[in-house]
Amino acid sequence: MMISAPASARILAVEDDPLLASHLQSHLMGCGFDVTLSHDGSEGLQLAESEDFDLILMDILLPGTNGLEALQRLRRQRSVPVLLMSALGDEQNRIAGFSQGADDYLPKPFSLGELSVRIEAILRRVAYERREPHPGNESNGLQFDEGRSDVAFHGNWVGLTPSEYRVLELLWRHRDEALSKPFLYQQALRRAYAQHDRSLDMHVSHIRRKLQAVGNETTRVDTVWGKGYILVQAGA
Amino acid sequence: MSLPGRHSLLWRLAGALALFCLLLVSLHVDVGRELMDATSYLPESTRQTLKDYGREAENSWREGGAPGVDAYLQQLQAREQVWAVVVGPQKNSLSSQPLSAEQAQRLDFVRRLDFPVGRPGSMPTFYIPFSESDARLVMELPQRLDPRRYNELWELLLQRILPAILAVVVAVLLYRLLIAPLAILRRQAAVLSAGDLSARLGSQVTRRKDELGELARTFDHMAERLEGTVSFQRQLLRDLSHELRTPLARLRVAGESEQDVAALRQRLAREVEQMEKLVGDALELVWLDTERPQLPREEVDVARLWDVLRENAGFETGWPLERMPCDLPAHCLVRGNLNGLAQAFENILRNAIRHSPDDAVVRLAGRLEGGRWLLWIEDQGPGVADSELEAIFRPFTRLSASRPGGDGFGLGLAIAHSMIETQGGRIWAANHEHGLRIYMYLPAA
Repeated sequence: MMISAPASARILAVEDDPLLASHLQSHLMGCGFDVTLSHDGSEGLQLAESEDFDLILMDILLPGTNGLEALQRLRRQRSVPVLLMSALGDEQNRIAGFSQGADDYLPKPFSLGELSVRIEAILRRVAYERREPHPGNESNGLQFDEGRSDVAFHGNWVGLTPSEYRVLELLWRHRDEALSKPFLYQQALRRAYAQHDRSLDMHVSHIRRKLQAVGNETTRVDTVWGKGYILVQAGA
Repeated sequence: MSLPGRHSLLWRLAGALALFCLLLVSLHVDVGRELMDATSYLPESTRQTLKDYGREAENSWREGGAPGVDAYLQQLQAREQVWAVVVGPQKNSLSSQPLSAEQAQRLDFVRRLDFPVGRPGSMPTFYIPFSESDARLVMELPQRLDPRRYNELWELLLQRILPAILAVVVAVLLYRLLIAPLAILRRQAAVLSAGDLSARLGSQVTRRKDELGELARTFDHMAERLEGTVSFQRQLLRDLSHELRTPLARLRVAGESEQDVAALRQRLAREVEQMEKLVGDALELVWLDTERPQLPREEVDVARLWDVLRENAGFETGWPLERMPCDLPAHCLVRGNLNGLAQAFENILRNAIRHSPDDAVVRLAGRLEGGRWLLWIEDQGPGVADSELEAIFRPFTRLSASRPGGDGFGLGLAIAHSMIETQGGRIWAANHEHGLRIYMYLPAA
């Protein structure tokens, strides 16, 4: 069950550095996106308000209106997903919730590959929210209970926290498919992914431990290096 | 209001003021009484003068009778401008002038020469007996011979001028006590603000136990911290520029000579990644050191965190998980910032792996001590010299000579150090029999 981003998604990129902007544009167009470029905060805001974009990429330090201000004003009318980019650094991001209202935050410098992953995660989440599929009810001894946010294995409750439940449920729905960390953060933890953030890893570690504790040896959450996590059914 | 400490300046000030008050009161009462005592009797010279008058009167009586006394009294009157009479044993005037009733009454209030002079303000009357008869000379004490004639001046001195002088003396003492150290403080503050960060107040002021000593110690501490931060940042900047030159130099050479585009791209990616990490780590360190951020704390399961970190490290270094065992008791929960702790532990783990020989083990262990966890991560490497145990937590410290495999920038342990201390923990290193141990105290959840 693969939910891919709409290939012709329209992206608005607001970035004042011309070299970086042109690289962004050509890379994203290469990925099949329809990219509009703007070099100025005020102009970018105007475009974002007047046209329908699927995603907005925005730098924080911009001429005209700065990115955070633009984001605030945009949020009054539109819920279009916004990915902030900034050289302000990682550490400020972790203390100040300044990227509030943004769907993700990417500290500069970043690789274009990383950018694609983040964009895909956001678009995928949006698509996912539009058509919520039915959760897999019972299989292989595992029983998901949305109401109590927990999973039972052969009748034994595993004792998951709500966050752990959402992660496991998401992995279960897409079993045998590697899910990226940005997507898991977006979809299960409902927040932006940062490089030093270990919350997801800790949740996965707890899930593994708890599944083992109830004697479930067949359902494994494996790490996919450089990408994210995958749920596999050993012996299935 | 709580009472200030035993060494407070309050007590000294109170003491000085109390001393001042006591001195004033004693000046007023004791010295006043002394003065009164000293001036209530006729001094010897005055008595002699009066006795001389008596003898002269006796002579004039013996030689000239009543007319002689008349003449003498006139002469005395001219000399001293006082009332004087010569009377016989029955208080009868021996001059030709009889005594008026008022004068006779006055004769009842006469005193001997060795009697006190009486109330201030009144002029006492003395009598001088003749040596050869019962007659005597009775005369008012002349103004010029009054022992109390300077008393007003004395009182002015005692009650006005001396207290003023005393106040000035006490003020000077207090000034020396309070302002002299402040002058030193002001001078050193000026030196400090002029850019000499090594300016300190010295033990002359800081060893004082009162509030001024406290101020001085605070000042020295501030100067210490200022100097530390500034020199830390200067050093960091110097080291950082130095470290950046190496990958830049490699890039420049590669850019000029590398013909293979794929190899060049690979080299580019590797160097950029390294520089990114270097800049990121340096910024992180500066942020931790200067901002001292309050990171949100939560309950962290250390064993699970170790699972996450060793899985990462195992993937990157090829170490199997069994070589990174966790010997913690069950339910090792500490209170801290998850990502901060993760970064600290990861840096320590990576450092330990880097300095481990083949097939060595890096172990996490710990125990609960009171309300906190003592955790340690030990490797089986060569350890470090005892003199370097503190230096390894300083940025850009690489002891590659003694610890092989030093390919990091020496920022990892410095970040771990700042991270742990920022979260109210403590971190230090010690050698044990098989290698190096990094110890940490963390508050239990």
